[in-house]
Amino acid sequence: MKKISLTLIKANRKGKVVEILGGTNLQDKLMNMGVYKGKEVTKLSHVGLRGPVVIKAGRSILALGHGVAAKVIVETE
Amino acid sequence: MIKKIYLIGNPNVGKSVVFSRLTGVQVISSNYPGTTIELCRGHLSLGSEKIEVVDLPGTYSLEPTSKAEEAVVLLLKEYPKDQIAVINVLDSTNLERNLLLTLQLIEEGYPVIVCLNMCDDASHRGVHIDFEKLEKLLNVPVIPTCAVTGSGIKLLIERIRQARPTLRDKHIGEARWGEIGKIVEQVQRLEHRHHTLREALEDASVRPLTGLIMAAGVIYASFKIVRFVGELIINRITDPVFMNLYQPLLEKLTLSWQGKGFWFHLLIGNLINGKIDFKQSLGMLTTAPYIEFGMVLPYVVSFYFILSLLEDIGYLPRLAILLDNLLHRLGLHGYAIIPVLLGFGCNVPGILSTRVLESKRERFIAATIISIGVPCVPLQAMIFGLLGAYGGFYVGGVYLVLFFLILVLGVILNRTLKGFSPEFLLEIPPYRLPPLHILGQKLYFRIKGFLLEAVPVVLIGVAAINILIYFSYFNIVTGIFAPLVHGLFGLPKEAIAALVIGFLRKDVAVGMLMPLGLSVKQLFIAATLLAISFPCVATFIVLWKELGLKDLIKSTLIMIGISIVVGTALNLVILH
Repeated sequence: MKKISLTLIKANRKGKVVEILGGTNLQDKLMNMGVYKGKEVTKLSHVGLRGPVVIKAGRSILALGHGVAAKVIVETE
Repeated sequence: MIKKIYLIGNPNVGKSVVFSRLTGVQVISSNYPGTTIELCRGHLSLGSEKIEVVDLPGTYSLEPTSKAEEAVVLLLKEYPKDQIAVINVLDSTNLERNLLLTLQLIEEGYPVIVCLNMCDDASHRGVHIDFEKLEKLLNVPVIPTCAVTGSGIKLLIERIRQARPTLRDKHIGEARWGEIGKIVEQVQRLEHRHHTLREALEDASVRPLTGLIMAAGVIYASFKIVRFVGELIINRITDPVFMNLYQPLLEKLTLSWQGKGFWFHLLIGNLINGKIDFKQSLGMLTTAPYIEFGMVLPYVVSFYFILSLLEDIGYLPRLAILLDNLLHRLGLHGYAIIPVLLGFGCNVPGILSTRVLESKRERFIAATIISIGVPCVPLQAMIFGLLGAYGGFYVGGVYLVLFFLILVLGVILNRTLKGFSPEFLLEIPPYRLPPLHILGQKLYFRIKGFLLEAVPVVLIGVAAINILIYFSYFNIVTGIFAPLVHGLFGLPKEAIAALVIGFLRKDVAVGMLMPLGLSVKQLFIAATLLAISFPCVATFIVLWKELGLKDLIKSTLIMIGISIVVGTALNLVILH
């Protein structure tokens, strides 16, 4: 078990969200879209070096800008 | 007593389609979040009453995290809760995420009726929802619908009066998601399916390598199809009609006209070798309709056909992901590609849709880039018509100059404007194949909009040109600008009239260049300048409305500066 940001895990890996850094506005936004502490998400892809990260949360596909993705910390096995 | 009906739901669940079904009011719908940027209002007859229906922009939550969401919450509070009905539209393929808003609406005591939309798509994807059970668990009416085909809408209308407030314990944060999870577990059954081709394509289009290959393919194919369909319409329909029917008719009626005075000049224009030449005569009955219907309309049709198709399939948000990196350097994020693409159709809707971007800074950058570097379809059609004869090299050259300009301008604006560009956070919709009638309606709606907007202005424009030329008023204007235009850009002073008319409409302006007998180099410079310089008056007004006077002036000064620099540079660099 290790805690790592969404930008650093590999594509096609699953992780459980353990922490969302940054302001409450970002946390609320992600919460409203279904990404919150305890939710399991799958990283689908990462576009370019500092590009957006695409994840699957529940049945939604979300694209997170690099800066946002870096703030989402997940726990992987 | 219901005084108002609100349609509310997450972004991209098909609220606008439900709205059209309920009210008969045509609105543009697409398969990406944020299509509805203005409130749409219409009426629904419920028994003997006519009740106003309001289509609210999409929101994920009643606890707003942006200005757009705040606006939605404020609107809901306009009337007392016992005088409204709230239709909560849900995407059945993603019940879990959609239920957050539903629970919030119920908890807040709104009289809610749930419209479980896209039911057909859900069952295609192996998602089965027990809506009767959901109705019991939520204790509000739940109606499965498929708005694009219209199924379930009748039942929805019949049951609107049953929308009712109901008591429910309030949860917040993760606990609410926990509660939603329990509901979903009881009402939703997922059929295990193998990966379908559609899902494989959805996946491939967001991965870097396959995504870029697909994007290149889609853009190339779109461009080819727009040209092919446009030319097909011109060669098979509009040109034969103009040349074989309209021209002989017009000539029969007018060539016997004695004493070709002011009115002849205004309506028919100049005769070329004793005949009407649609490209050169410049009359209100000759060149004006030919430019609009014979040169521009075919491309408007083909462009909006392809754009509408890409919109409804759901490809554009995927393009946004791939371009996020590049657009970040311009102070924008990936989603700005949507206003830019709309801007290629017409700058007006493009600039209006910059509202999907959050900050004022982003909107300024996007609107300025669109009005300077993005040529609209009428302008592009005319550039094709004018420069196409000299080969793809010159046409491609105009695009290359504009593309380069967008990059340089974006980078400079991003470096010099205060603030930073916000991050991108976007839901990517699944691919959907739009039914043909929906696509057709949207195309019809857009073409009608184009004609209503363009035809009067074109007629007025051509009339104005003729009056100015007939009474030699243009000489005054040309006298002032001749040193600039001739000295710096190498254009003859006759081209000044075209550049001035460009402020009215770009397509007419390019049309005015046709009889001047310019060299390729001059045509190239004039066409590029027309694309960059003053946006047409409609765009100008929208810029003013969206940016405010101060930013409009800023944007305009940038525009003038760039026009002079680019015009001069091209004149110096190109040798022949």
